[in-house]
Amino acid sequence: MLDTFEILTTSGVVVWSRSYAAVSPSIVNSFITDVFIEEKGAIAGAKDDQPTASNPPYRADQHTLKWTFSKELGVIFVAVYRSLLHLSWIDKLVDNLKTIFVDLYGDQLKKPNTTLVHCHKFDEYFDQQVRQLESSAAVKGSQPSAAALVSDDEAVSGNLGDEPPLPPGLKHRSIAQNGAQELPSTTESTPVVTPSNSRPSTPGTSHLVVGKGGPMAKMSRRARKMQNTSAPASSGDEGPARKAKKAPKKGRKWNADGYASEEDDVQLDYSAAANAATSESEAEGRSTAMESIDSSTWGTKTSKGQFVLKDLDDEVNDILASAQAKSTGSSSSGGLVNSGFSTISGLFRNVVGGKTLTKEDLRKPMDGMKEHLIKKNVAPEAAVRLRDSVEHELIGLKTGSFESIDARIAKAMEASLTKMLTPTSSLDLLREVDAVTRPSTFSSVKPRPYVISVVGVNGVGKSTNLSKICFFLLENKYKVLVVAGDTFRSGAVEQLKVHVRNLKELTQREGGKVELFEKGYGGDAATVARDAVRTASNEGFDVVLIDTAGRRHNDQRLMSNLEKFAKFANPDKILMVGEALVGNDSVAQAQNFNASFGQGRTLDGFIISKCDTVGDMVGTIVSIVHATNVPVLFVGVGQHYEDIRSFSVKWAVKKLLSNN
Amino acid sequence: MDDLKHYLEYILTPSTPVFVVGALIVLLVPILVHFYISSATPYTNLPSILLIGPPGAGKTSLLTLLERGDNAVPTHTSQITQSVELTVSTDGGIQSFRDAARDDAPGSHKKFMLVDTPGHGKLRESAMAKINANDPLKGVVFVLDASALDENLQATANYLFDVLLALQKRMGVGKTSKAPHAVHLLLAANKADLFTALPASLVKSNLEAELGRIRQSRSKGLKASGVAVGEMDDEDNEDWLGEYGAEKFAFSQMREFDVEVDVVGGSVLEGKVDKWWDWISERV
Ligand SMILES: Nc1nc2c(ncn2[C@@H]2O[C@H](COP(=O)(O)OP(=O)(O)OP(=O)(O)O)[C@@H](O)[C@H]2O)c(=O)[nH]1
Ligand SMILES: [Mg+2]
Repeated sequence: MLDTFEILTTSGVVVWSRSYAAVSPSIVNSFITDVFIEEKGAIAGAKDDQPTASNPPYRADQHTLKWTFSKELGVIFVAVYRSLLHLSWIDKLVDNLKTIFVDLYGDQLKKPNTTLVHCHKFDEYFDQQVRQLESSAAVKGSQPSAAALVSDDEAVSGNLGDEPPLPPGLKHRSIAQNGAQELPSTTESTPVVTPSNSRPSTPGTSHLVVGKGGPMAKMSRRARKMQNTSAPASSGDEGPARKAKKAPKKGRKWNADGYASEEDDVQLDYSAAANAATSESEAEGRSTAMESIDSSTWGTKTSKGQFVLKDLDDEVNDILASAQAKSTGSSSSGGLVNSGFSTISGLFRNVVGGKTLTKEDLRKPMDGMKEHLIKKNVAPEAAVRLRDSVEHELIGLKTGSFESIDARIAKAMEASLTKMLTPTSSLDLLREVDAVTRPSTFSSVKPRPYVISVVGVNGVGKSTNLSKICFFLLENKYKVLVVAGDTFRSGAVEQLKVHVRNLKELTQREGGKVELFEKGYGGDAATVARDAVRTASNEGFDVVLIDTAGRRHNDQRLMSNLEKFAKFANPDKILMVGEALVGNDSVAQAQNFNASFGQGRTLDGFIISKCDTVGDMVGTIVSIVHATNVPVLFVGVGQHYEDIRSFSVKWAVKKLLSNN
Repeated sequence: MDDLKHYLEYILTPSTPVFVVGALIVLLVPILVHFYISSATPYTNLPSILLIGPPGAGKTSLLTLLERGDNAVPTHTSQITQSVELTVSTDGGIQSFRDAARDDAPGSHKKFMLVDTPGHGKLRESAMAKINANDPLKGVVFVLDASALDENLQATANYLFDVLLALQKRMGVGKTSKAPHAVHLLLAANKADLFTALPASLVKSNLEAELGRIRQSRSKGLKASGVAVGEMDDEDNEDWLGEYGAEKFAFSQMREFDVEVDVVGGSVLEGKVDKWWDWISERV
């Protein structure tokens, strides 16, 4: 069975939820972070309003999440269940619930400057859908009716406000979760507790309900009808419902907010009388009528339940059918005159602003934008993804006053690029080194050297950039051990020796200290690295910088060594050096290196070398970040030791969007 | 046809009615356009309070608590900024946020916008932009998780550093032209209900120490790409938070830039946010 179903907004507020088993909030949080914010795993188009089945399920911690998203309203629908279970009907459930919810509460969700959504009544629709889909999936038998009974019981007890005097045996075992269920109840309303445990297939509960149902058969038809009508509403619904109270309408009529106007009356008053929680004057007027029902409240569930469910079934089917019709039949609209007029007003709007953007408006300028990015050396697949995501973001939006489409696109692209390139957490290298080498006296962490290693293909400038970082650290008076981890290419150790000698000379007066650790050629790089880290911590070095052998990213044998290396040396930072140059396979390189460190370990950042040689063509940066989700941390900008910079997102975005 | 000619002739001949009508049009059109535009964007002029802080600190929870007045609702990671229109009492008629959230709260009140921002590292751009925007920003509430400050000290302080620096620069910019009004900062040490939560005084001293260290290391850090060599020296001075050259950082150093910093503990979960609400009411 389902563990949890949640409806939440992009601003982070859960507007409705139903929980059958406690699920850590961190699961949904990491789902949002990975899928929506960091867009991991190349889930391009994840933001589409597409059906659940087309969205890749998200798996975390033995749970599977199925989800769909309404872009227009900014609402995410997510179902969480144990990965072990195979629930074929979940996709349909999520889709249907989305359709129903959007239909009933779309207007409320569109209101600006509020996070309140009154949707307690959604409980029933949810139950109805679960019951219907589950039973259509299950073999015919007693199960469907049992499910109906239980979910009905739920609607009733949800009704009674804070502490429902539940019949014995109907005590819900998951009362603790109910705290999480108190959804947007407003200031004056009694918080509505929606007992949420009942699994339709729990035999114990359903038997009890059946048993309870017995005596009620004797009830008068009128009373039953009253019960019936009072069942679905929940006492917390207020606002629109209360207004409706003044002028009750005949029959069940659903207003825009999804409340059954007439029935709500009865219901509200009833709960007020029963709980004495809402002291409304109108309630008194009707309380006599209510009391007569009060005595026989408990158990008309069976008969009444079926009434309710019937009504609901019809309504839900209506909603779903009309949504279906809308999606199939909305393609043709407007005649020649109509479209002529809209073209003219479109042109006008394009100048004055306030134009609603359509796919047609966007196609040409967006393709232009894509070409522009490709000219800046952005890999085509990255450019296409950026185009699609910006286009998707813009469709249906209005341009601001006196804003042209191009300006709007440029703004959106700037935001998209900034989001993509900005690392999840910013790096303050010196601060991190300090935290590791000189931990605060309160914490129990022992001081140890900070380990950085650089990897990359042959000839991209690993040793050079390592020396640049070394120079920077020496200037700040750190003790650095440089490790010759390239035990493969002849001359590599000597090259590093020269660097270290130069650095020593250059920084003598700064007060830093640098030594070389080398074990000649032929040894195992991982072991050398581990020994070096040990030596460093014995001799009081602050930072260990490990150079590694350059390797081709498609060389299986050498690449597989990296996993052992990462395990043995256990660096705080594994940085990959990549070139900014035009026309190499930087994307494939980055991807292969990123995947080579074994389970749970990835690259921590990129150093992009030779940025001074490419001018504005810094697209490589976008390509590799797009492919790996690993941030660029440093850029190399010249031949000298001081020619290394921390990567500035603003700088890169400006270069990417500049027109020359 | 003749009619039209006649009509044109009348309009084009200088006469009192024509002048009057012409003058009216010239005067009224700009006024009407102004009203049209300003009514189309009704919310821009409300004073605003910004909720800012690291992820999972409880910003969105606080927002929902203040809006509803009884309880916060469950929340997850935010992706967008969300404004909510709230009211404060101007005559002391309402004491707590619980009353203020009611529609029929007594006394006279004033509306303002509470703006929640996402804390995720990739989404901070817009929050930072709001500090520098010309909005009538009245205060910044930096929400942090006092129960996990030990683990998150670096990340929290890093963000706080950026926020404080933005506030400082905002005042610095003003010195040349007309001075912008001061924007103060409240450090809301949330989750005091948990037993691991640090008291406000410790939150303050830990953050001050960490901010001092960050200030040191940033001043020595690598230059950002795109910064030319010549600009270096100005930059140094400008990016220094608080009293220039001071050994230790203290929040009181921010007074030099008209930024008052208060540290107050509280708990959204238990509804103990009255002190924060008072702080907000005072700024609006
Ligand atoms: N124990 C305790 N938990 C709290 C308190 N306030 C908030 N939380 C919990 O902290 C978690 C995160 O709260 P949010 O309001 O979503 O955090 P946020 O600051 O909006 O986070 P982002 O949107 O990611 O920036 C939620 O699970 C809250 O229930 C509190 O006072 N005490
Ligand atoms: Mg939030």
